[in-house]
Amino acid sequence: MLPVILAVLGALFLLAPILVVVPMSFSTAISFAFPPPGYWLGYYAKYFTSEEWLEPTLNSFVIALGAMTFTMLLVVPAAFGYVRYRFRGKTLVNLLIMAPLIVPHVVSALAYYGFLGRAKLTGTLLGVMVAHGMLAVPVAFLVISATLKGYDQNLEKAAMSSGAGPFRTFVHVTLPVLRPGMLVGALFAFLSSFNEAVVSIFIGGRAAVTLPKKMYESIRLESDPVIAVVSTLLVGAVVLGVLISMFLRRRSTHAA
Amino acid sequence: MAGELNAAAVRPASLVGGARRNATAWLLLAPACLALVLLFVVPIGYVLLLSVTDPRLSLAHYERIFTVPVYTRVMVNTFVTSLIVTALCLVIGYPVAYVMARRAGWVSTLLLTIVAMSFWTGFLVRTYAWLVILGSKGPVAGAYGALGLGKAPQLLFSTFGSTLGMTHILLPYMILALYAAMRKIDANHLKAAASLGARPAAAFRDVFLPLSLPGVVNGSLLVFVTCLGFFVTPVLLGTPRDMMISQLINQQIEELLAFGFASAVAVVLLIATCAVVAIYNHYAGLDRLWG
Repeated sequence: MLPVILAVLGALFLLAPILVVVPMSFSTAISFAFPPPGYWLGYYAKYFTSEEWLEPTLNSFVIALGAMTFTMLLVVPAAFGYVRYRFRGKTLVNLLIMAPLIVPHVVSALAYYGFLGRAKLTGTLLGVMVAHGMLAVPVAFLVISATLKGYDQNLEKAAMSSGAGPFRTFVHVTLPVLRPGMLVGALFAFLSSFNEAVVSIFIGGRAAVTLPKKMYESIRLESDPVIAVVSTLLVGAVVLGVLISMFLRRRSTHAA
Repeated sequence: MAGELNAAAVRPASLVGGARRNATAWLLLAPACLALVLLFVVPIGYVLLLSVTDPRLSLAHYERIFTVPVYTRVMVNTFVTSLIVTALCLVIGYPVAYVMARRAGWVSTLLLTIVAMSFWTGFLVRTYAWLVILGSKGPVAGAYGALGLGKAPQLLFSTFGSTLGMTHILLPYMILALYAAMRKIDANHLKAAASLGARPAAAFRDVFLPLSLPGVVNGSLLVFVTCLGFFVTPVLLGTPRDMMISQLINQQIEELLAFGFASAVAVVLLIATCAVVAIYNHYAGLDRLWG
């Protein structure tokens, strides 16, 4: 019984602080007072009407989509090359692909600050997109190469021996089988960019403010209560996402 | 290694032709490798370069980091704080992962849902939550007042606050690493121990705990390394008096525009991180961390 009690306490420690943001978002207080002195929807109205918050929200989506596309274009062929072939320098390639995961984000952020600054790309959506795209490479690679390792290549042999060419085999056999893994990889890349804060803070400048950067600045500079609304919406999205993924997994295990 | 051999065994015969095979592999890997070199390695190299050339060619920045007491304290503080956070994550996370791995049914599902939820909730949302909780108008200060304990101690903008925040944020990583290792433990081992007369506590100590050690090592590495370079939470919840490395980098850039010195600090952080990862690699093998 003791482990269960400790586990429940641990889970409460994880969950309770996050839930604090929900009542805060309906609070009438202009500072971070908890419990709230009164409730209203005013800050929701402010969020959905203020350019100051909507623009970073849009930026975050655009950057995350761009970074995800960039990552996937690099990672999908790389994962095929890495998993299916043996070649010299494989360990080195693995280290290179994993490097953005090992290097602390604050170091990468400083690096991009200097590097993209020279290329006049700080404070641009493109600059943040490229940086986020690189940082998402390891996680997308891990997911997609794991999917590839679990893939039975006899399916391809069967298609080929039934007369399908390499291209038709790839489109009609390989891709559909690997699709779920690819989608998960793409989702991880998207979220890696969407949640990334440090690089955005360093290189976003005035013109490419993402949601985490805006939240960071709003905490540091002005204690804007709208941050509670944004936090609540983000928590809501995460809850929805986790529930959907659990539902899908349950359905797929039942089907199998 | 086993994976590579396996892949070789199932490879279609048409592709097994040395040079051509190598060329195909490199063609597939080239875009990613090229991008990583140009858009990741080169920028990092630029930091290395700046650390010894800005404002002029010298090792003076490094000398300052290791001789000026303020900066050596930052290094020690970062290291100690990271150790504390790792230990806290381990102590709090182990029972959660244990129950997730050992219990079937809704308890384990519920725990997994909560862990996944906090894992995917952004660092800023969670840091903001702690700002509310620890703030001077927050529930902790309120409880102090209500219980007649007088004024609450300063929780926000303190080492305590940032340690607590980082523990909360990194805990899901630890739990997931522990859970991944514990799930692989065959329940029959424990049954065997029990049938040989081991009490549950002894079976746990002598069988389960040693088998879960890979998870402990993986989780600790993950949390420790992330903590070394943690930025948002120490900056927002911590205090400039007990700075961590990332706060120092931020301060040097934001307030002093001292890129050379900031770069040198970043390089020290990078080397420390690589050293920890290399030690892990030597004893456990990196592929096991992300295998």
